[in-house]
Amino acid sequence: MSWNFRPFATGLAILYLCGSAGGGAATLSPEQLAAATVTDDISIPTPGELMAALNKQGKLDWAAKYRAPIATNYTSRAQMALNLGGLIADGYIAVEAEDAQQVKNLGKDILDLAKGLGVPKEIRDRGKSLTEKGEEKQWDVLREELEATQNEVKLSMENNKDQALVDLVTVGGWIRGTQVVSAVIAEHYTEGGASLLRQPAIVAFLRARLEKLPDKLRSDKTVKITRLKLVEIEQLVAFPAGKTVGAEDVKKLSALAAELVGAISRKELK
Amino acid sequence: MRTRPTFAWLRATLECGGFLALALAAGAAPSDEGVAARRAALGVAGAFQNDGFKLRDGVWCRRLEPGASHLIQVNLYAGNQYWFTLGAAGGAKKVAVSVFAENGEPIECEPYAEGATAAAGFSPGISGPYYVKVELTEGAAATLCLVYSYK
Repeated sequence: MSWNFRPFATGLAILYLCGSAGGGAATLSPEQLAAATVTDDISIPTPGELMAALNKQGKLDWAAKYRAPIATNYTSRAQMALNLGGLIADGYIAVEAEDAQQVKNLGKDILDLAKGLGVPKEIRDRGKSLTEKGEEKQWDVLREELEATQNEVKLSMENNKDQALVDLVTVGGWIRGTQVVSAVIAEHYTEGGASLLRQPAIVAFLRARLEKLPDKLRSDKTVKITRLKLVEIEQLVAFPAGKTVGAEDVKKLSALAAELVGAISRKELK
Repeated sequence: MRTRPTFAWLRATLECGGFLALALAAGAAPSDEGVAARRAALGVAGAFQNDGFKLRDGVWCRRLEPGASHLIQVNLYAGNQYWFTLGAAGGAKKVAVSVFAENGEPIECEPYAEGATAAAGFSPGISGPYYVKVELTEGAAATLCLVYSYK
């Protein structure tokens, strides 16, 4: 193991096969793997996890990946939810850049969009802690606050039986995170960096969720273009284990994701 | 000592009854046992936070019968380090957590187990899906909760 960590005093030094913990190290069958639980809560990584991995490749200028402020008053709830996810991903970028003012700006936009989606005031009030933690420059705390705020907003949506909006928030966040990370990797291409773009199960999960949306939401203009573009994106992030994606394909992915993020945030999508 | 907002979030959630919805969403019993299982998992995961690991806010909880196991898919990034931490409450005496690659092969991990808590740590060499297996290996039926940390 390439890392050294001993959180407990005794009995931890011996490595063993995790798979033997239950008494047998048998390989799991495809049927067992197919039956595994996949949940938004724990199966989908945060943009922060991807950025943490990318930061190990070298110092990066995250502030260069900011985008111009987007609207917070869309008429389509689906579009609002997709953009809410994107804004939360923007929050992770601002935290990586350690930019308190940007965190503050994004916190306000996140709250505005959440309000438009009917998230109750008591939950939106919690989002104010994003601004406070930004001013206090508690960056690690802020990463956790971002995820907790997102989960609380999603929980509120679930309580309102708006699971579809939860899915759209997740999709919007993943697309914006993929756009930024693929752009960084395209600019500083290494095979190691490019290997981080391998996310076949995530995009398959997100596509499946979009296909299960109610008809009205699935036919929303923004959702339609998202469904179409995710098919193309999947082809670029679903490469085999042990392989990587070439520089040209990373550029293609970056362009595709940027195009999709632009379409999602456009106020009047034609 | 750094603050731990996730715990504050847990407390606030418990106070406002949000755990009920969270537990239902995760397929868990909305009970004191579920709350205790999550608390047990967070207690162990707190040790990893002290070593720079960031704790995910998400949690998976479910009630399992003795000897039963469950698989959860996670998606991990090469180069990051991860700890998967399991806590149980109620009649659980021993639990186990293990990790498998996307082809189903067991992954070599750093283990931890004490009573009704267990953890597995490793650093993936390949980005992509992995499978975390949680098991109630000894004791009566109980609610198990899984959390994970990364750095």
